[in-house]
Amino acid sequence: MDRRTFLQLLAASPIASGSIVDSLPKYKTVSSYAPAPNPGMPGPYPGQVVSVRSARCIDETSEKVDVDVVREMMERGMCSLTGESKATDAWRRFFDPSDVVGIKVNCSGVPGVVSSPEIIAEIVRNLMIIGLKPSQIYLYERFKSQLDRVNYPAYLPEGVQVVAAESERGQIRLYDPAVYVEVDFFGEEDTRSNMIRLLSQKLTKIINVPNMKDHGASGVTGCLKNIAYGSFSNVARSHQRAKSHTYSFIGTLAAVEPLRSRTVLQIMDGLRGVWHGGPFSPTRRFRFYPKHLMFGTDPVAIDRLLIDIIDEKRKAEGAISVWNRSLTYVKPGQVRERDHDPNINIFIRETGHIEYASRLGLGVYDIKKINVKEIKI
Amino acid sequence: MKILFFLATLPMLYWQQGIDSTEALRRAGIERMYVPPDQVDAWKKAGFSPVPLSLSELESRVKLPAPRISTEVQVASPTRSPWVVANGWRFLRNSSGKYYYDLPKGTAALAAAEAFAYGADAILKIDPADLEELGRMLAFLQQLGPSPAETLADLAVVDDGSPLTSEVMNLLARRNLLFRAVSKPDPQFRINIKLGTKQYPRAEAANPSNFALKIRRQITDEKRLLRVYGSEVVICRLTGDGSRVRLHLLNYGRGKIEGLRVRLRGAFAKGELKAAGYGNLSLEDYVVSDEATEFSIPEMRAYAVVDLQLK
Repeated sequence: MDRRTFLQLLAASPIASGSIVDSLPKYKTVSSYAPAPNPGMPGPYPGQVVSVRSARCIDETSEKVDVDVVREMMERGMCSLTGESKATDAWRRFFDPSDVVGIKVNCSGVPGVVSSPEIIAEIVRNLMIIGLKPSQIYLYERFKSQLDRVNYPAYLPEGVQVVAAESERGQIRLYDPAVYVEVDFFGEEDTRSNMIRLLSQKLTKIINVPNMKDHGASGVTGCLKNIAYGSFSNVARSHQRAKSHTYSFIGTLAAVEPLRSRTVLQIMDGLRGVWHGGPFSPTRRFRFYPKHLMFGTDPVAIDRLLIDIIDEKRKAEGAISVWNRSLTYVKPGQVRERDHDPNINIFIRETGHIEYASRLGLGVYDIKKINVKEIKI
Repeated sequence: MKILFFLATLPMLYWQQGIDSTEALRRAGIERMYVPPDQVDAWKKAGFSPVPLSLSELESRVKLPAPRISTEVQVASPTRSPWVVANGWRFLRNSSGKYYYDLPKGTAALAAAEAFAYGADAILKIDPADLEELGRMLAFLQQLGPSPAETLADLAVVDDGSPLTSEVMNLLARRNLLFRAVSKPDPQFRINIKLGTKQYPRAEAANPSNFALKIRRQITDEKRLLRVYGSEVVICRLTGDGSRVRLHLLNYGRGKIEGLRVRLRGAFAKGELKAAGYGNLSLEDYVVSDEATEFSIPEMRAYAVVDLQLK
């Protein structure tokens, strides 16, 4: 493939009007990969979300997951999304035996809230049923220390690959030097965020499995944040003091090829959730149990629903909204205070990052245009 | 003759341990070192090549801080970046100076590499526990051969000798903004920093980090001779002689670095990489475009060197 450089200067984009956009950083996206004719995001089901709930999927006291219930939730969700009557046929809509499939797990909330191993195991089981070998399936995350704590291999068939991009924080050898977004947020020296090499050079399809979590910088963290910040290096630089550039950086990263084209399925894991202090969940203090999975191909539509889930929970707990940008509640660097008080934040939340991503063509944000199929088990 | 001159320019150990430490020195592969004058004969008899130097003579040299990441929490850092203690800017400022390090455990190898990278006349007083590691580093430095002489730089700093200029040089070096210290503005550089001028007021330089950022913006990242991606604690020096350039990479952090990405302005034929502790390695993901050459260093610890030829 010939090397091509896509300059994604906002001045040339259709959203380059208005004061917010005028103050956005200048992004330069470098990638040799052209978009697929039908990119995985928003995929074949823009604006469609299947919401599956079951009160029996997890025991809130022991946090034990009921594998059989999860299996049923997965089956019903996938069938409803695709219109197929058999789960196998639903999975075949997205994957074939020649694919090399990556599963983007989220482990930043370790040990409390991560992509549930039971859900990952069910995804792997279905991929194998349709003909993929374990060696064609990769779980990936950025940090080895987090992945190791979850211990996914204990739940998976032998041969499934579990890959961390950074054996030690900051190592970039497993990132692709030819696929990156360059941007200078705060005068930092290292201005590049590179895509994980596994994604650009090996995987043919990606399944995104985020959690339902609050996020101190981006407002909430769901499909977009997980696939974007979880697939590139050097992203924490987007926050400094009270300011976060997650508003535009998340969507920009998610739109980089080949990530955008290859991410074909979104399965949001809401067995557990985090309503404050996210993406972390070191204690149960801010954990809750939505008992809820969402299926789709449109990350924006799912994340739009997530905003309301987190915001309603916060409201019920007497906490400020994820839309609250008042500096009264922002105390930069005061992590300990944030971890004790749900009305303290360390950054101004950029919940608007989801709408911004919709403007980059990643999905449907308007709640009136999102079609939700509700299933209760 | 050239080789002998080169060996004489390498940083050298100052060794106060008695003659009963011969085995430790042999294990470290060190035969030539400074010793107190009253020990010279004994070391000669033991088959070494000692050079006499009293402690007072050593201490008459300029003492350098140990190169490291600072853990001094009481020092406020202007950025989130780690506080790096590095001496390259001192060597650039006074290349004919005579220096010595009094090094705590764990810093000898990096100090030797740092002094070598800048061609500094430096003596290393070390913690004896670092002897073997230092020996390995000195052996590595010997293999490298002499560096091209000319300091390649993006800008010049007019040195008025002031502490403020010191801090400016320190922060420029810290950000890999390559500079040459000059006594008066040098017309070969587009940017000549002279503090106290209208363009570079002293008040502005009082925040050296912001000041360095201003200079970076003036140069522009695209036009910088060197960019480094993947570490905040690698400081580089670039020297050349017309057709050849040598890039020195000094890692002030504690761990190894994997995949450090380097961008050099200009087109270079694929060169040679030597990394302390690894020997010869291949440069990875080598790309030459019209304006720049990029490559990755697969692994490095304290020090690596890349030799390149202009295309």
